[in-house]
Amino acid sequence: MDIWASGMSLDLNKLYRTQIGPLILWLKRHFDEIHIAVEHCEDETFESETVAFSPEDETCKEPEDWKRWVVGENGNTISFLPIMPDRPVVVRPEVPVIIPEGHEALFFVSIPVWVKIVVNDKKELVLCEAPSVVLSNIWFGDTMSGELCYSLRTKARRQILDAEPKPHRAVCPVKIRNTTSSQLDIERFCVHVEYLNIYKGTTRLWTNEVCINFQGEDSANKIHYTKKPPEYETVEGIVGKARTVLKKTLLKKSLGTFKLLTGI
Amino acid sequence: MYIVAGVNLSEVLTAENFAVFIRVVFLASAGFPLFFFIATFAGKATRKKLTPQANMLLRKGIFYTGSICIIIAILYQLGFKMTALLGAAGIAGIAIGFASQTSVSNIISGIFLISEQPFQVGDLIKVGDTSGVVLSIDLLSIKLRTFDNQLVRIPNESLIKNQVNNITRFPVRRLDIELGVAYRENVRHVKKVLSEIAQKNTYCLDEPEPLILFKNFGDSALEFLFAVWCVKADYLRLRQTIMQDIKERFDAEGIEIPFPHRTLYAGSVTEPFPVQLIGNKDENIKSEEEI
Repeated sequence: MDIWASGMSLDLNKLYRTQIGPLILWLKRHFDEIHIAVEHCEDETFESETVAFSPEDETCKEPEDWKRWVVGENGNTISFLPIMPDRPVVVRPEVPVIIPEGHEALFFVSIPVWVKIVVNDKKELVLCEAPSVVLSNIWFGDTMSGELCYSLRTKARRQILDAEPKPHRAVCPVKIRNTTSSQLDIERFCVHVEYLNIYKGTTRLWTNEVCINFQGEDSANKIHYTKKPPEYETVEGIVGKARTVLKKTLLKKSLGTFKLLTGI
Repeated sequence: MYIVAGVNLSEVLTAENFAVFIRVVFLASAGFPLFFFIATFAGKATRKKLTPQANMLLRKGIFYTGSICIIIAILYQLGFKMTALLGAAGIAGIAIGFASQTSVSNIISGIFLISEQPFQVGDLIKVGDTSGVVLSIDLLSIKLRTFDNQLVRIPNESLIKNQVNNITRFPVRRLDIELGVAYRENVRHVKKVLSEIAQKNTYCLDEPEPLILFKNFGDSALEFLFAVWCVKADYLRLRQTIMQDIKERFDAEGIEIPFPHRTLYAGSVTEPFPVQLIGNKDENIKSEEEI
């Protein structure tokens, strides 16, 4: 948790390796430039650490795909900020969930965040963003219309505080209310994460709560994004701002309970 | 009195005629550029709000309408009576119509194309054997840019009459791969491997789900259809990467993709195939000794 929003000074002639979950960031400063390389590993259980290497250190295997940013001579302190992914996320429970008529359920969905690297100069300068976990792509909608989203398999927990916190994941409380007179079989639901802020809690990152009112297969669902921080844990404040400011309640189809037909 | 080529210049070069001349020149020199500027400005202002096709129609509509207005104004200044002109145009139209049936047919077809909108500027279409990106939809024809950067002009009439495939109309596309594996392979294992290949490929969508269908007991192989979905922009990248992924993974798993082949049986699987030498008896003995 200490990795977020805490400044890190980059010395000349040193190579830095920061790992946040499975995301590995390599950084070095060269005159008025900052060089960054991004890698991913399979190990999601890893917490976070930053290690500095000297150029002569033979144990360090530098990556090959570097990018350079010209930031000026004052750009020697950087920070890592969490931000939600740049596309909506389609959450698919590992085990299908059914909500009977007139009932509601609260799920805690753990969404991998993106890491925004900023230079702490007079004005905050964003260098780049990288996903902590590379999610696969999924199409939400039918084959003639819809939107491209990220796909996330989840346990759809009902209790979150027992789960092990991970620094690269933000917990999104999703409340789904079935207002119809029939059962709601949830195979997947779409969360527009670009409207979510990220809050720093005592043990983990949190987002705003999302409320979805299911009003039937043929009707648009009413989606409400709360503006205040979640109340499931004490939060210190916003550590990552939403990508897009939500202006009004969305009336969109966000629940898919049917399988797409893929005839030959 | 000045007469040149039988024309009395004193009667022609009057102040009134000079004023008409000035008005006509002003209309032509200012009017056409003005409407061209208005059309260009309207196009730029609406570029982000309209589709490329609607933008092009707007620009051309403004310019052509303005040009016709200027021509009518010029003719009016020159003293032509519009009623007589329209009457003459009607008669001329009939004559021209007979002579330009194909062109008129193309124009009418173009109007139908614009209203029906089977494709728009920027779409990738296939007409017959020609595939290309639509550059413009004009009065008489459409212009395509092929993948090898050729310009193809297709008359609108032939588009109305023939089948047109709009490849990029919808946001997602499916890539169908027909492949065969040897008869000795385990079908469930092959399906599992193909499913994993689809999951690992970055361009392949999780949903719509990939389709893995055991199609047929072919002559030389077990035939499968492996169909995966992608967003239309990634189609080529998916095609390049997934074919390679299939080959590499099949090699790693030892799954054979057989060549077409025929097996000859001599009545029994275990018996050797009989060979008889035909020719000179002495040559046969000599060849047997060599063996």
